[in-house]
Amino acid sequence: MTALRPGGRPSPSMPVGIGVRGRPVLRTAFGVLLVFWILVPLVPLVLWSVAGLWQVPAVLPGTYSLDAFAVLAVPGTLAAALSSLLLGGTVAVIATPLGLMGALAAQALPGRCGRAVDLILLLPLAVPPFALVMGANITLLRLHVPAFAGVVLLLVVVALPYTTFMFRSALATYEQRFEDVALTLGADPRQVLRHVRAPLLSAATVRAFFLAFLVGWGDYITTLLVGGGQLTTLPMLLGSAAASTGNEQLVAVLSLAVIIPPVLILAAVALPATIRTRARKPARTPAGTWVRALTRKAGL
Amino acid sequence: MNIPITGSRPHQADPHSPAPSSRQDLTPDRYAARGAPGAVTLRGVVLAVPAVVPVALVIGVSVVGALAQSLGLMPFIGEPVLSTDAWAGSAGDLGRSVLVSAYIAVASTVASVIVGFVIALYVLATPRMGRIIAGLSAATIPIPHLIGAGAIGLLLSDSGFLDRTLGLPPAFPTLVGGSWFGAVIFEYAWKESAFVALVLIGSMSRSVSGMCDAAATLGATAWQRIIHVVLPLSRPALAVSALIVFVYTFGSYEAAWLLGPTSPEPVSVRAVRLFGSVDLAARPEAMATALVSLGAGIVAILAGLAMMRRSRGLR
Repeated sequence: MTALRPGGRPSPSMPVGIGVRGRPVLRTAFGVLLVFWILVPLVPLVLWSVAGLWQVPAVLPGTYSLDAFAVLAVPGTLAAALSSLLLGGTVAVIATPLGLMGALAAQALPGRCGRAVDLILLLPLAVPPFALVMGANITLLRLHVPAFAGVVLLLVVVALPYTTFMFRSALATYEQRFEDVALTLGADPRQVLRHVRAPLLSAATVRAFFLAFLVGWGDYITTLLVGGGQLTTLPMLLGSAAASTGNEQLVAVLSLAVIIPPVLILAAVALPATIRTRARKPARTPAGTWVRALTRKAGL
Repeated sequence: MNIPITGSRPHQADPHSPAPSSRQDLTPDRYAARGAPGAVTLRGVVLAVPAVVPVALVIGVSVVGALAQSLGLMPFIGEPVLSTDAWAGSAGDLGRSVLVSAYIAVASTVASVIVGFVIALYVLATPRMGRIIAGLSAATIPIPHLIGAGAIGLLLSDSGFLDRTLGLPPAFPTLVGGSWFGAVIFEYAWKESAFVALVLIGSMSRSVSGMCDAAATLGATAWQRIIHVVLPLSRPALAVSALIVFVYTFGSYEAAWLLGPTSPEPVSVRAVRLFGSVDLAARPEAMATALVSLGAGIVAILAGLAMMRRSRGLR
């Protein structure tokens, strides 16, 4: 910090944090601009999904209709949605515990070994998914690995950096002392696992599971190249609709069908936490409560 | 949020570090269970194997398979014949594709880092409106790039939503399918700026407020606080997220395929087109392209990490 005004006087309305002092109108206008940046690409998507007839120079659709949503009730679309759900779920169920194990291993192993585990588990980030699939594809074919299993295997590898990273950052701020206090107070290892470690890592587990689910749910290129048309998921339907022109309604409705479920899950997970924070109650983790109760019982 | 850069392990509760005072009351057998300091414990190895083996195996098989196929040693059908045609014969096209991908990745990274920084700054500086923007921005992260590309197509194509609302002049450059990859870069900037903002907010939210308060008390203007406090604090997170965005956009397929022109092709589009070609002789070229993009990603990561390490050393 170099050029501070000597004698710069803290005014009574001293801002908090970065607190840009500028006129509130200007600040709000800038905020609106950012909201605009985030939401504008989604506006045509929503409009096209409910558009009946929307001819070229018209800014808004001439007629509105929900007919395009009928495609979601077609058996083919439902099957594709089910495949996507199954793919996302399977990838998440496998990649989440593996991520936790990898993160714990990286922490437990000393120096160079720990760093090697970290490096290997981050390596898939450096490999473009299409390159990973292309090289592995012929081996998968020769070993007669079914398309679904092949896609799951590759996507688990793609998802592992994310799940490992989630657990790594949770473990980095993990309060070992909670476990130690519980042990000191006479808890056996199983109780520690159930009442201390599991609750403390639950938020990271949810986040890791969500990210891994998204890898499978929204995947296009791996399913395309390995599935070879045998595995039809929602993104596959969307990709073929978007590649040709004149399918605006279909693209819009399928896009919403892919976007909305994860956003709802995200809101369901994030909103309660936000509300809790806003209520400004002291953070009471289940583990903290349990340790406090034990402390009281022990008369400490 | 701590960003562990390939193994730098910041202040975590390391079971092998000298015990702080609160741990001295542990029973001796609990210590024994944690293993001697610095030893490779059985528990560590058992935990590592299920995660490390699939990753190492799949990447190993993939790289070896791609290399063998690019040299004609693992043909789809027929006898293996060693040949470097896939590398030598198309070196010019391959080089052009690498340049196109590098251009897209650089432009997208610069745009998303700038926009992401501005979003993070606004979120940290403006409590109420900032929370709304943080929520909206985070909500775009689960949107797959394929959907982002479809949406940007509806927005930016000729006769797209932007053209309808603003009535763009005919001289306005073509964004979707244009030779400058405008729509592709816009899509990456839109999606990845939200990612950059999320990483920045997570890494700075705890430290930045107090330091800015201190700077403000000393008389720093808002601009000085941004330049001398926020920017230095955000540098590690900015560097890591920029590196991730660069590597990702370099090898990403969906947006480049849907929104880019048919020629010139970025590496991903070229590789997938050759891979799906009815001409099986195109396979080795597809593999060479895949390997080149993998190599470029690794070079970018190593260069980025070296730059980060050097800048940390200079400070």
